[in-house]
Amino acid sequence: MTAPIEVHDLVKTFGRTRALDRLDLTVADGEVHGFLGPNGSGKSTTIRVLLGLLRADSGTARLFGGDPWRDAVRLHRDLAYVPGDVTLWPSITGGEVIDLLARLRGGLDERRRADLLDRFDLDPRKKARTYSKGNRQKVGLVAALASDAELLILDEPTSGLDPLMESVFQDCIREVRAEGRTVLLSSHILAEVEALCDRVTIIRDGRAVESGTLSELRHLRRTSMAVETDRPATGLDTLTGVHDLVVAGPRAEFDVDTAHLDAVVRHVSGFGLRSLTSQPPTLEELFLRHYGTDVARPAVPA
Amino acid sequence: MTGTWTLTRFALRRERLGLPIWVVVAAALVAIQSVQSQDFYADPAQLASLRTTAEGNPALLAMTGPVRLLETVGGEAVFEIFSYVATVLALMSMVLVIRHTRADEEAGRAELVRSARVGRRAPLTAALVVAALANTAAGALAAVAAVATGLPLDGSALLGAALASVGLAYAGLTAAAVQVFDHTRGVSGVVIAALGASWALRGAGDVGDGTLSWLSPIGWGQRTYPYVDDRWWPLLLPVGLAAVSTAAAVVLLDRRDLGAGLLASRPGRARASWALSTPLGLAWRLQRGSLAAWAAGLFLLGLAYGSFGRSIEEVVADNPQIADFLPGGARDVVDSFFAVTIAFGAVLASAYATGAVLRARGEETSGRIEAVAATPTSRWSLLGSHLTVAFLGSTVVMALNGLGQGLAHAAAVADPDQVLRLTGLSLAYLPAVWVVAGVAALAVGLAPRAAPAVAWTVVAWSGVVAFFGDSFELPGWARDLSPADHVPAVPLDELTVAPLTGLALVATAATVAGLVGYRRRDLELS
Repeated sequence: MTAPIEVHDLVKTFGRTRALDRLDLTVADGEVHGFLGPNGSGKSTTIRVLLGLLRADSGTARLFGGDPWRDAVRLHRDLAYVPGDVTLWPSITGGEVIDLLARLRGGLDERRRADLLDRFDLDPRKKARTYSKGNRQKVGLVAALASDAELLILDEPTSGLDPLMESVFQDCIREVRAEGRTVLLSSHILAEVEALCDRVTIIRDGRAVESGTLSELRHLRRTSMAVETDRPATGLDTLTGVHDLVVAGPRAEFDVDTAHLDAVVRHVSGFGLRSLTSQPPTLEELFLRHYGTDVARPAVPA
Repeated sequence: MTGTWTLTRFALRRERLGLPIWVVVAAALVAIQSVQSQDFYADPAQLASLRTTAEGNPALLAMTGPVRLLETVGGEAVFEIFSYVATVLALMSMVLVIRHTRADEEAGRAELVRSARVGRRAPLTAALVVAALANTAAGALAAVAAVATGLPLDGSALLGAALASVGLAYAGLTAAAVQVFDHTRGVSGVVIAALGASWALRGAGDVGDGTLSWLSPIGWGQRTYPYVDDRWWPLLLPVGLAAVSTAAAVVLLDRRDLGAGLLASRPGRARASWALSTPLGLAWRLQRGSLAAWAAGLFLLGLAYGSFGRSIEEVVADNPQIADFLPGGARDVVDSFFAVTIAFGAVLASAYATGAVLRARGEETSGRIEAVAATPTSRWSLLGSHLTVAFLGSTVVMALNGLGQGLAHAAAVADPDQVLRLTGLSLAYLPAVWVVAGVAALAVGLAPRAAPAVAWTVVAWSGVVAFFGDSFELPGWARDLSPADHVPAVPLDELTVAPLTGLALVATAATVAGLVGYRRRDLELS
């Protein structure tokens, strides 16, 4: 089975700006794929190339195995899309927009529409000009989620939603995944991606810098540890993979490259472990390592 | 009221480009009319015969003003131009007041402003101060223009004051309407309706015994009779209206929430109608309001032109110089007249069509197209839906303009055949209108960023050629750049098919090239 989304070496330039610089991205069937990156890193551009709104300069982009530029109309039958900034026609109501987009896509599930309006607490009779940013976003979400498209492409879909609605959104995405549908979720809300995504691609300056499952990515990263031992733990500074060591009497705090975790724990337990707290790297840390200052970047273990 | 002064200066800065244009246009209209009137009616005998013609001609009176103004040359200028300049100033006042009050509230900017040390009444006060300054400047400049072109000082001062007062009355009315409706469209709708009523009442009044004219701000301004009686007291009426409506606005303002209106927006439909199911349905929904407005406007304009048709012969007999402005000269005055008015209708229809085509570009730059383009909708449909509305809509607009002229002329000369004749002849310009629309489509497809400039330049040039082509003696190649100039000047000239076929082919080629370009380029989303 071909992957719903396959992108290789994708390049897109706008004048002198290289928005996408040999980007790779693969989204497998049935997964929720997080697409992480700060503003301007090329997430929306990638999505617009996949939707056939922009034409790639070089590289390949495949949607359900087809060419998103040439076969846009055919491919769009099987996908639903929520733009990052849902702009609506001021004098048309939210309910009308939902119906219009659904009909253009070929129909919608009535029960699901009513259910989503209810869950998202959206009044469909209000003219779009009176909607707040969050409500406009809800219109886009209901329109997309009410469809039975195989692939959902969501570009920062929850910007402007309150925490309550964020949780409704997360429930909806879990249901979509349970139905075996595929989701590409572009976001910079890390908690959302951690909660929802099977695999993650991190993009920086138009290039994918990391891609894999969350646990794979964590494996490449450091775990923070704080230990308290009967006798002061010595020799930690000689172990490979230990960083930022601070020893104060029986206490020691340090970061460990996750690959060397086992050896380090064995070493420490030789001093009589009294307490140990360890914290796996959060997505946030992974993210900051890619986008923070270069000084903070660790040497990637071979 | 805290912050009024700062907001006023800020508003003037925001208006620094647009405002001078309104003011200069108003003064320029006065100057041009002053020169023309003194040119045509230097001889008192000609003025007397115009008076006789006007008294027997309701159509002329409905479009101009009271006959009493025709006692002097200066009064004649006021008779012809006052309603139009007053309309310009009324619209200017409306736009200014809306932009600095309701529009800011609707866009959410007002919230930011009001969170600072700014009083509740400050934005409205600032808007009215700017409107008052603008009207005063326009009135003063109009008076200067009148004096500079040779009209007496006293009457000119009164004319300027009358224009400014009428403009101010509409600023006050807009201020009150802003409190009532919670969106700008409602406000501009009711103010434009009030302006239309003011035209209708004044027209009906001046055709009849004059009573109804006293219900119209434009009528009040004219009844100061500048250069004739020079009476100032009728200006108490527009100034009083401005004061009363401003007071009402303040009372309402103190009782409403920011962003709310006295009338809440009615909820709309929860479900889309069957018509809103396709790209064409969407284009129609987005454009039907503007099409209805253009259609109604051009039909009414057609009626006005048509009702002039017969009397133009008398007017030209009185003032042979006017014939110089008609392409056929005095040879066939009525047909010459309609040749001009039908061409004028074609320029306006081109403007409509251009706006309709550019709507597709607006959908793109606003980003609204993105969600639609991600559905199984082809690029052909995305642009083609708006082009379809533009082409069919311009046909309707052209036909209604011709129908209006035909109906009114048929009634005037008691010849029902004129209805179909003028409607049909009017449609001869359609291929030229479509060329303008096609060029707009071409620009949207191939040079999207330049599209508005390119498309409106074509419309403007068509207008220049249609209105001034003869009087400026433009060279042939310059005239050839106007699509409408390739159409035989019906009904004066014989209708021939060849140029129309050529235009239709050009329109088709441009449209297809535009569609292909649109299919092949990136959408330009922010």
